[in-house]
Amino acid sequence: MVNAYKGNDMVVTANVDKIYPNNCHALKKVTTNIKRGEVVVIIGPSGSGKSTFLRTLNQLETITDGDIIVDGVNMYDERTNINKLRENVGMVFQSFNLFPHLTVKENVMLAPLKVSKLPKSEVDAEAQTLLKRVGLAEKMDVYPAQLSGGQQQRVAIARALAMKPDMMLFDEPTSALDPEMVGEVLDVMKSLAAEGMTMIVVTHEMGFANEVADRVLFMEDGVLLVDDIPENIFGTVANHPRLQKFLSNIL
Amino acid sequence: MKEQPHRLKWHILFAITILGIAAGIYSASQTINYNWQWHRVLPYIVDTSPVDIIAQGDGSASINNNSLTITYDNGAPDRIINNADTILVSDGDIIFEGDLLARQENVRMGVLIEGLLTTLEISVISLFFSLFIGLVAALMRISNNPFSKNLSLLYVEVIRGTPLLVQIFIVYFFLGTVFDLERFTAGIVALSVFTGAYVAEILRSGIQSISPGQMEAARSLGMTYPKAMMYVILPQAFKRTLPPMASQLINLIKDSSLVSVISITDLTKAGREVVSGSFATFEVWFTVAALYLLLTSTLSWAIQRIEKRLANNG
Ligand SMILES: Nc1ncnc2c1ncn2[C@@H]1O[C@H](COP(=O)(O)OP(=O)(O)O)[C@@H](O)[C@H]1O
Ligand SMILES: [Mg+2]
Repeated sequence: MVNAYKGNDMVVTANVDKIYPNNCHALKKVTTNIKRGEVVVIIGPSGSGKSTFLRTLNQLETITDGDIIVDGVNMYDERTNINKLRENVGMVFQSFNLFPHLTVKENVMLAPLKVSKLPKSEVDAEAQTLLKRVGLAEKMDVYPAQLSGGQQQRVAIARALAMKPDMMLFDEPTSALDPEMVGEVLDVMKSLAAEGMTMIVVTHEMGFANEVADRVLFMEDGVLLVDDIPENIFGTVANHPRLQKFLSNIL
Repeated sequence: MKEQPHRLKWHILFAITILGIAAGIYSASQTINYNWQWHRVLPYIVDTSPVDIIAQGDGSASINNNSLTITYDNGAPDRIINNADTILVSDGDIIFEGDLLARQENVRMGVLIEGLLTTLEISVISLFFSLFIGLVAALMRISNNPFSKNLSLLYVEVIRGTPLLVQIFIVYFFLGTVFDLERFTAGIVALSVFTGAYVAEILRSGIQSISPGQMEAARSLGMTYPKAMMYVILPQAFKRTLPPMASQLINLIKDSSLVSVISITDLTKAGREVVSGSFATFEVWFTVAALYLLLTSTLSWAIQRIEKRLANNG
């Protein structure tokens, strides 16, 4: 049964292995679960497999071995419609990836119009609400190239929210931004978290992790090494030597 | 402001150079005693020669109020000619089959303009087919399926590796015979398949120049691959490929001159025919060149308009 169990868990991964075609072993037996409404931050050095893990959760990367269940649906069941699953999982990228040939509002409206096939007036109104919410009501009709990085990333968040997802994935959403723009994006993410959105966030913003995360996952070399509450991760005694080393390097 | 006189100087130099070339061509033709007779080209552009009206059987003529009526001996219905400009028979004349009855003034397209329209027709039809073939081949080429990938690769390599002239002969004599194609159809098939291979390469590189993040963003919103292609990737790729596409489509117009070898009376073939009838060789070929230039520059202008329209975004 594809939809047999739809319990408290938003994501369950079991022994997920990912080996890229070039034999790079990016994920090694990653096992975890993420509850509905939970905000989970993934940290770890560059190349440790954080992006790869995030991207397996909406199958932008396929896995080599293991199981992934999202919202009660086994992703690798042959009856699973991956496009339906993706509608329910929003993703925000480090490089924004806005559609440059469409205006800000058209970016937000595209998927609801073409995928959900909702009536245009409804989609338009919803897009305006979302853009107001991320503070870009007056930028609706400009093209992405005319926006700052922070503004583009907020549009990207609005675009993902337009599909009314149950979970949002963020892959280093503030890493490409000038420092003065990081705050405006984090604020939007914080407000999302406060509303109870299930969020998985790869980031180097330890302040955000400490303040917003329910749990922090530390990855290194494809292995999920530590899975704990922020208090224990950032507390005086981080009880894992590799984590300690990582934190002392970036703080 | 300071640069103004400088630029003017170069404009003047340009004008002088062009005049010099024209003078050079003229004096070169003088040395071979060529007699320029541009007026001879005119009838092949606008044909004003009157149309002859010929009797189709034996009978007799009657004229009344500028209307000529032919009564045939064999009982065929009378022929009434109202619109003749000059009537060459008199009332009561006996008419024999083949007699010249009257002349009608007439202004119609000359042979060269008819050829121009044929070239235009072949080019426009081939343009649409080649864009379609090129798009399909490009999408097959970037797919993960080895079958479609290899098929597209083979198509592009074979077409780009053989001369268009040879392809036209093969389509006309081989495919044309097997599938009973008309020469016009054969010409369009050859041109579309040929240009399609180049369009495929242009579109493929255009699609591949779009950052993979665009496809990922589209797919992560739940779009299927075809929808992501249609609404996200292709609009961007089309815009990027406009300049090479323009030159390829201009090539298509010029390449269409090769279909004259299978006896399609396009602009080039019309030019050849006119040369043998008018003896104004230089004038005719210069005119033909100017007419091709008219077509290609119109297309080039149209594509520049599209480019400008798309330039405001992204
Ligand atoms: N498309 C790919 N092909 C091959 N190897 C890859 C690919 N993407 C990532 N990798 C490798 O997988 C490992 C994990 O990468 P990634 O998940 O991007 O790490 P992180 O996001 O933590 O920096 C790295 O060693 C990287 O080189
Ligand atoms: Mg990464």
